[in-house]
Amino acid sequence: MATVAELLDQGVKAYTRGDSAEAERIWLQAIEIDPQNERVRAYLRQVRGERPGSPAGAAPAPPAQPEPAFAPSPWDAGPAASATVVVIDEGTGLDLGVVDEKSDIRPLVADQRPPARPPPPGDVAIWMEGARELFALGDFSGSLEMIERILRVDPTHAEARAYLRQNESTLVAMYESKLGPLSARPRLAIHAEEVMWLNLDHRAGFLLAQIDGTVSYDDLFALSGLPRLDTARILASLVAEGVIR
Amino acid sequence: MSENEPFIGIDLGTTNSVVATVIDGVPRVIASRTGQTLTPSIVAVARNGKRLVGHMAKRQAITNAENTAYAVKRLIGRRWGSLEVEDARKVLPYELVPGPEGADIRAMLGGRAFAIPEVSALVLAELKADAESFFGRRVTKAVITVPAYFNDGQRKATRDAGRIAGLEVVRVINEPTSAALAYGFGKQMEKKVVVFDLGGGTFDVSVLDVGKSVYDVIAVGGDTYLGGEDFDRRIIDWLVFSFAQEHEALDLRQDKMALQRLRDAAERAKIELSEGQQAAIHLPFLASGSDGKAALHLDRQLTREKLEDLTRDLVDRAIAVADRTLRDAGVRVSQIGEVLLVGGMTRMPRVQQAVKTFFGREPSRGVHPEEVVALGAAIQAHALLHPQKGKEVLLLDVTPQNLGIMVVGGYFATIIPRNTTVPTSQSHLFTTVQDNQTTVRIAVLQGASDKAMENELLGEFVLEGIRPARRGEIEIEVTFDISADGIVGVSARDSATGTRQSITVTATSGLTESEMRRILEENLDEQLTRRQVGDFERLRDRTRTVIVEIEALAPAVKEALARSRFGKDAVLRAEEVVARARAAMESGDLQQMIGVEEQLDRALQLFKGLAGGAPPGGKGA
Repeated sequence: MATVAELLDQGVKAYTRGDSAEAERIWLQAIEIDPQNERVRAYLRQVRGERPGSPAGAAPAPPAQPEPAFAPSPWDAGPAASATVVVIDEGTGLDLGVVDEKSDIRPLVADQRPPARPPPPGDVAIWMEGARELFALGDFSGSLEMIERILRVDPTHAEARAYLRQNESTLVAMYESKLGPLSARPRLAIHAEEVMWLNLDHRAGFLLAQIDGTVSYDDLFALSGLPRLDTARILASLVAEGVIR
Repeated sequence: MSENEPFIGIDLGTTNSVVATVIDGVPRVIASRTGQTLTPSIVAVARNGKRLVGHMAKRQAITNAENTAYAVKRLIGRRWGSLEVEDARKVLPYELVPGPEGADIRAMLGGRAFAIPEVSALVLAELKADAESFFGRRVTKAVITVPAYFNDGQRKATRDAGRIAGLEVVRVINEPTSAALAYGFGKQMEKKVVVFDLGGGTFDVSVLDVGKSVYDVIAVGGDTYLGGEDFDRRIIDWLVFSFAQEHEALDLRQDKMALQRLRDAAERAKIELSEGQQAAIHLPFLASGSDGKAALHLDRQLTREKLEDLTRDLVDRAIAVADRTLRDAGVRVSQIGEVLLVGGMTRMPRVQQAVKTFFGREPSRGVHPEEVVALGAAIQAHALLHPQKGKEVLLLDVTPQNLGIMVVGGYFATIIPRNTTVPTSQSHLFTTVQDNQTTVRIAVLQGASDKAMENELLGEFVLEGIRPARRGEIEIEVTFDISADGIVGVSARDSATGTRQSITVTATSGLTESEMRRILEENLDEQLTRRQVGDFERLRDRTRTVIVEIEALAPAVKEALARSRFGKDAVLRAEEVVARARAAMESGDLQQMIGVEEQLDRALQLFKGLAGGAPPGGKGA
């Protein structure tokens, strides 16, 4: 059975193909599994025409912005803070098991996954279309996911890079707006013993450990060593969950 | 200076620094603006380009190690290629490069080369700012402490750091002397005092002959790579290995975020164990679980006994260094009148016990070991700047090391011994070593070793035109003059012919005067930029709040406009202003922010009026 993330993805693909009915059917399946999933609910509202203020149709590409000249960070190569759901269509290709059997070639290490194959060229175009649509709908996280997927297979994709920057800066602004003044010094809003019962990853754990009432949000951005988007996302999430205030 | 002009004493440490002053005759430490008495001597350039100093820099010292300068005191005033610098390069994670003249050292931080005095200056500037916040006005006068073994170049570099930070360094004094001053020694007593200084990164042991306001440092020893960080490392290793046992050999040291938290926790636990018998180390979500499993926690109890077990050899090493220092100086333990404990690590009960056992006496207590050096510096600053009749505590400037020349066989002949009060002038007669020798090379050196090569070369010159004669017949008078400013003049004169050559040696920090000017100018620019950034950040925060207010009012405004014949374009205009404000927030440009601020305020007033039922153009529009 497909997961919510997979259904979300399939729905987006159907939607960007212009098959709204199929998209709605798939997202209805998703909402059955996870009725509280805000993103699925937003997509369903969208596909049923209950659109928020954003204009429909293809969004113009955002203006290109210069690359920020940051020093390299050990986390540059790492994943984003929240789990980015990626569903890669394996497609068709050589059956390595059969190759093993029929030839003298044996893998050096057992149980290794085969190297990732580039996706069919059509997928990049679909993902790009999806990213544009989602951007226009105001779903910057969803658009960013699509963009990240494109850049994994084509890191030089110019339009994807332009959208990446625009999505990131928009998301950073959104998350930062949830924090209040960046000069404010957050504090733990729960008992220290309760921290154990939260559901955090180690990067959120690191940031939370720095919050002691003496450092401001601005300081946290400087000392986290994480990309600004990840820091903003983690902090906004900690504020939203009432962990810090 | 005016009677009330504030002054400070600064202990510029390898690991931590402290600033103090004297208020109503009582020396006291000045807490930082965030309430701490210790400021880590650490400077960093964060990933987002922000300069971090002190606690903020320390919090990211492991996660951003290549852009974080610490322990620069081991490098200040040193020459590129020297043994000490090569040793430091083996252990420091940030890159060191030679300066433009090739003689001094630069630290690469955030892609920029910082002269070492510049890095120290950032720490001093932080302490100065804390003091200014305490006094509520500018502070410019300071006494700074340095290790007793610092040579003239290192002292000059420390003075330069003060100058870059905007301080007038009225005196540089020795750390052990400063500690003794803080205890009030030297007023009524005459005795030998040992200063046992186990700090964060270095261990120094000094023997002072104290009496009648004279503080003579008669022996100095130590280990420049022994300190509290070694104790922390033992705790970290203990935590790492026990964690690996429980979690399929997961090595936390490979994860910089985990390691940063481990180091902070280890230091906290160590400090706790100076008071209590047990410390809880609790680090939730320390590492990511394998295969997408939940993040892992670390929970341990460290006992004092275990800590002592883990660090026994480090304590033994410090005692062995103290023993060797006394032996080298020919001082017996029974001759010691007082033992002073300095440095945070001496708060560890096991260290105190070891000192007591070795010296056969209780070490002096009463002054906080991490603050004592700064307090002594403040006392000295007070004495210099506010002299009171009959209460003088005078530390005369003295030569920190022996000064002399190289003689035959590669040996060092001292002409002005260490601790000689300046200004001074002293001469010594030398002779030729070969028949018909007509030139002599005078190599001017500074240091404590009998071997010339092990001392620092300050300069050299050649005396020519000596009358040919059998060896030993010629008399050459070598004279050293040291002015009150510490400038050393060396001359050599052939007594028979009167032929004379001389050289003037000025201690150098490695920075040329033009570089110094450039740095001072850059600092002014930096201050201006920082002020602008501060203004921008305040305005950005306010703008964000106004935008949130406007967006919250938008539905009510739309509803009101739907019923009105007026102001149809108000929402559109407000959206444009909000978009411009967002762009300005992203730009980092203060002028752009100022330009949009008024329009945004007007849009908010308009929306408030519309949402409240007032027509546009009415009150507040």
